Amino acid sequence: MTTYPCCYEVRLDGRLDERWAGWFDGMTVTTDGDGTTTLRGPLVDQAALHGLLRRVHDLGLALVSVTRLDPGH
Amino acid sequence: MVQPLLATKLHVPKRRRALVPRPRLSERLSRADGAALTLVSAPAGFGKTTVLTEWLDSGSTGAGAVAWLSLDEGDNDPAVFWTYVLAALRTVSDAIGADVGSSVDAVPTRLVNELAALPGELVLVLDDYHVVDSSEVRDGVQLLVEHLPAQVRLVIATRTDPVLPLARMRGRGELVELRAADLRFTDEEAATYLGEVMGLDLTGDDVAALEARTEGWIAALQLAALSMQDRDDVAGFIANFAGDDRYIVDYLVEEVLQRQPEPVRSFLLQTSVLGRLTGPLCDAVTGRDDGAAVLDALDRGNLFVVPLDTRRRWYRYHHLFADVLQVHLLDEQPGAVADLHRRACAWHEREGDLAEAVAHALAAGDHDRAADLIEPALPALQQHRQEATMRRWLEALPDEVVRARPVLSVGYVAALMVSGDAAEVDERLRDVERLLTADDAPAPGTVVVDEEAFRRLPAAIAVYRTGRLLLSGDVPGAIAHARTALDLLRPEDHQGRGAVAGLLGLAHWTTGDLDAGLRWWTEAAAALESAGFRSDVTGAALATADIRSAQGRPGQAMAAYDRALRIVDPGTGTPLRGAADLHVGMAGVLLERGDAAAARRHLAAADELGEAGGLPQFPYRRCVELARVHEADGDVDGALALLAEAERRYVADYFPEVRPVAALRARLLARQGRWGEALGWARERGLSPADEPDYLHEFAHLCLARALVARHAATGEQQALLDAVSLLDRLTAAAEAGGRTGSLIELLVVRAVAEQARGDTGAAAAALRRAVDLGEPAGYVQVFLDERRSLAALLATVATPGGVLAAQVRRPTADVPGGPVDALTARELDVLRLLDTDLDGPDIARRLFVSVNTVRTHTKNIYAKLGVNNRRAAVRRGDELGLLGRAGER
Repeated sequence: MTTYPCCYEVRLDGRLDERWAGWFDGMTVTTDGDGTTTLRGPLVDQAALHGLLRRVHDLGLALVSVTRLDPGH
Repeated sequence: MVQPLLATKLHVPKRRRALVPRPRLSERLSRADGAALTLVSAPAGFGKTTVLTEWLDSGSTGAGAVAWLSLDEGDNDPAVFWTYVLAALRTVSDAIGADVGSSVDAVPTRLVNELAALPGELVLVLDDYHVVDSSEVRDGVQLLVEHLPAQVRLVIATRTDPVLPLARMRGRGELVELRAADLRFTDEEAATYLGEVMGLDLTGDDVAALEARTEGWIAALQLAALSMQDRDDVAGFIANFAGDDRYIVDYLVEEVLQRQPEPVRSFLLQTSVLGRLTGPLCDAVTGRDDGAAVLDALDRGNLFVVPLDTRRRWYRYHHLFADVLQVHLLDEQPGAVADLHRRACAWHEREGDLAEAVAHALAAGDHDRAADLIEPALPALQQHRQEATMRRWLEALPDEVVRARPVLSVGYVAALMVSGDAAEVDERLRDVERLLTADDAPAPGTVVVDEEAFRRLPAAIAVYRTGRLLLSGDVPGAIAHARTALDLLRPEDHQGRGAVAGLLGLAHWTTGDLDAGLRWWTEAAAALESAGFRSDVTGAALATADIRSAQGRPGQAMAAYDRALRIVDPGTGTPLRGAADLHVGMAGVLLERGDAAAARRHLAAADELGEAGGLPQFPYRRCVELARVHEADGDVDGALALLAEAERRYVADYFPEVRPVAALRARLLARQGRWGEALGWARERGLSPADEPDYLHEFAHLCLARALVARHAATGEQQALLDAVSLLDRLTAAAEAGGRTGSLIELLVVRAVAEQARGDTGAAAAALRRAVDLGEPAGYVQVFLDERRSLAALLATVATPGGVLAAQVRRPTADVPGGPVDALTARELDVLRLLDTDLDGPDIARRLFVSVNTVRTHTKNIYAKLGVNNRRAAVRRGDELGLLGRAGER
């Protein structure tokens, strides 16, 4: 299990503007050309990741993918 | 419960004024014949609550009564959750919860029994179940679902699937589901909604475009409709909307917000931080005086407020709407957010709602405020067993805030003691001790709100230390700390003194000093009763009885159980928590007396009360005694299976493990001549016949001696017998010295068997006579009967003529063959009689408190003995042989 901070990339269906960065605890919000949005940033642990996914779900946003980024990214 | 019970959580939400009738969904819900669980699982904004209220309103539920509970984050504490469930059910029937008593920390099993006794049918709705992430709450709900009586339908509405065996329930037809795909508006429903309900004049293409863009997501269609109201260029709006790929709610909320007058817009943003809204609270947060009026206007304009009570005093925002509003608030006025929470905190504090006040203080990042609120509430939280809430709150605070507050730190220790985080407890206690200075004043840099609690800290710390040391096996250390604690505790602190006396009782018992153990437990019971902690009285009775049994005084053990069983909850007249354990204890004494029938009755009484009526060790204690019943019936496999279950379900607590399950298993195996397995266990545990005796290993050593005697009986190896006798010598001396007559009796019986095997009948008779002299007056029977095979002749000479023991020794055993077929054992007869009913295998297993596999084994044996190969033939043949006992019953 991952217990140390890691960077994650969470891709969502739909376009969110940057205003949402605050809602997602300072993750950077990038819209991609294909109608998806990527949240990217460090999360302290798995609990934080699940909290983020819960926020995504609470908004009715469809999750496309979750990727853990290797250190160095 | 510390926080006030919010009646708004128990109201069936009012249906919205404007609504699309959806009979297709109500019908699906109504068709759910026989399904225990109805699951409405979909993301936010799919109209889950609305569908349920429409169905309940339609009167087609088949049940007259509806109990509703809207859950929130605070319900992640079993004490809070079950209090609310009971309150919801009480809105329907006064009879419910009356039997649960004050121990709300484990109600599910009793609830099942109470619901089963209800005359009418009932629907229980748990709305917003996705907020539940406490595994304790989930386990309770699972138990409820799996044992739900037929007249109750449980409905769970949630954004995420609950952790329940859904696939299995689906397979068995026990589950009715409505999911996102079912809940989406169809084209037709969308057209009805937009046209008839919202009064929009749209073309078929417009409706299709909106339906396509929103994918039937109701919340989005609602927002779209609101944006279109009073708009001139509806077609233009639809074209823009349909062609945009922004997050749909974001897009639409902005559209709606833009069209609100500034006062309404700022009201919406500022109050978006509130979970529940009411006029005065909104005023406190906004600094205005139009809260009630604005809420009313929002309600009439259908602007995403949901009324929470019939008088329309409390509302909440639709979840999606609130989230997006908060994003706008954060974006536009990031500096204002904390202040809004602070004002909400102050209002809730004034209103006496501690939970909401703490939540807002935490959200404001105002940790000191939150800590100030929590500290004085700790005693009440502890008394109501809301340790889960304590832990959640204290873990939400930054560590340094808790560490700077000695009273909070010790409160955290109290919460951790319950969930058993040992290392953390030690570390925290050390940390707090550093903060306590010699002159009783708080050390510099520390914060104390509750001065009274602060003065009690040294005593509280000594009590927790005592508990920790005892759990870690440091008995002398525990006793030393207990003495300190007693010096520090005020004379009138009955709870503290009772706890320490109990810990001292345990410490002395653990070392084998039974007299001292008993003395302290007597004191503990008196103090705890004075303090009003009735449920702890059960624990004291169990300890007292266990010690009495070890002393060879089963009659006194029985009296202790009996006394505690007579104490009831004064409010409800129901038995205390732990009553189930008392019944199991009584079954144990009765088994020792050879009265298996009475023992079974007490085990049944314990099961009636259920696990929730028991202490944490109840499942294990129950399996151990049931195993003995099976053993007495000659069902060795059944007994072994139950012991395996007992081992699985054993949870360590403060009670010394004086009769480990593995040793009980070895004893059973040794008695069956399976000495190899029994000795394997002893080797694994590092037990040797050369060990010096100590109380904690006394029983295990005794079982080792039995295994050695069995080895000699099977192989004739003299060394095994010599080892056994020398071990028994040392054990006997230690038991005599410690006044442990209960152990002594069994040691002497095994000694008699060993001496007889050695050929020294005189020594065997002497040992047995002494055992009988000690045990017979106290009512011991089974310990002798267990060795009837080898000692029958000797027993007949030493048992008092005409006494119970003599009669039992003469009675033929149940499994002696006789008659035209091999006689069935008592247990097999039970099974045979149940085969003559409509019950299926699992039902029979439940009825007899055994596993399905055990029933299968019994059934196989019955068929073999009766010479048949199916159930009907077995019943017929049993009837011919007069085994069914029908004449007596009919």
